[in-house]
Amino acid sequence: MNERSRLAAEHALGLLTGEEAMQARGLMASDADFAAEVAGWEERLAPLMDELPDVEPGPELWNRIEAAMAQPSEGAEVVTLRKRVRSWQLASGLSAAAAVALALFAFPIGGPAPTQDAPLVASIPIGDTQLRVGVTFLPERDELLVSASGLTADGVHDHELWLVDEAGQTRSLGVVEPGFERRVTLEPTLASAIANGSDLVLTREPLGGAPAGASAGPVVASGEFAKI
Amino acid sequence: MVSDTLTETAANTSRERLRADMVRLASGDRSSLGDIYSATSAKLFGICLRILNDRGEAEDALQDVYLGLWQRADRYDPARASPISWLATLARNRAIDRLRSSKRVRDSLPENAATAVEDDTPLADSLAEDKQRDARIHHCLGKLEKRQQSAIRTAFFDGATYRELAETQGVPLGTMKSWVRRGLAALGKCLGSDNE
Repeated sequence: MNERSRLAAEHALGLLTGEEAMQARGLMASDADFAAEVAGWEERLAPLMDELPDVEPGPELWNRIEAAMAQPSEGAEVVTLRKRVRSWQLASGLSAAAAVALALFAFPIGGPAPTQDAPLVASIPIGDTQLRVGVTFLPERDELLVSASGLTADGVHDHELWLVDEAGQTRSLGVVEPGFERRVTLEPTLASAIANGSDLVLTREPLGGAPAGASAGPVVASGEFAKI
Repeated sequence: MVSDTLTETAANTSRERLRADMVRLASGDRSSLGDIYSATSAKLFGICLRILNDRGEAEDALQDVYLGLWQRADRYDPARASPISWLATLARNRAIDRLRSSKRVRDSLPENAATAVEDDTPLADSLAEDKQRDARIHHCLGKLEKRQQSAIRTAFFDGATYRELAETQGVPLGTMKSWVRRGLAALGKCLGSDNE
């Protein structure tokens, strides 16, 4: 098994953290053979899930899903969104790559309709350098785009992004991937804690991020969400 | 034997119905999502619940799975994967994403992980469409050393990372990686694949 095949198996199982996870996600996006290998593992492992018992979800869940589907969608909205992505890009100084990443998940929609919630952005400068981590939060989708395209990994640490909530508690927004634009869907409770003016901090952590249960590492940079 | 054949026929019929529903959904017929939900939600919820260990979290993950499916139904290729395997993988991946993005609020592994992973009774169920393939993964996994098996199963069923596996087993990260990697290499070979 060569190194890339091994990485595909490890990624399919979800074993990876830190740099290796980054590398695998990068290959998933850029290398069709790698993605096919991952899919091959997923498919062959899937029968194991037969061991899990069926459990009925709450009876109201289908109504929730239908309600979310019933929101008006598509058509003119896509055009509006495209325009908005362009204006976010201009306003926030997002790189073209970030705008493309944004566009990729903003356009192929047919589901929950965007509300009028404006995106929030934060720009976190890294030390005395010109580099910054760009963070965009889309309230209408509970999605966060973290752009760290100018950064490179040092191989020893990861940097983790945290939201400082109103009570002063830090809540992880995940590990920043140097050199990548990362999109994540936040839990609704976490997403609802993000507001105009919310503070963000970037901490230095062991590879893979702060261990579960441990407190955050030293703060290396900070920023604040603002409407654009 | 007769009842086996009947069960198989029933499974074939429901699989074909599901495949047809998925194709309908991809062509924009949103009413088919209800049929897909009825046929698969208990199975997919069982998967999300196992990984997230919390009903509310698992329901949120499940909602994401079906909404995502509706928005991106065209990603399913009926010629390639079996529909239920594909959906089960979608649910597992979604639940793991959720687990990772909220790792601060939860313990790294559910309480029952250690006992639950020992249960390897294969069930005849909807994922076991191709009996040979199903038997194969169980057979191949069963041939691995106990500790390799246990680590791979915990990663698969509980969404544990290398780091978490090493922590729970009290071994250095490098040791855990080499156990699992040897296990995966043997598994790939046994499954007879292009992944060796």
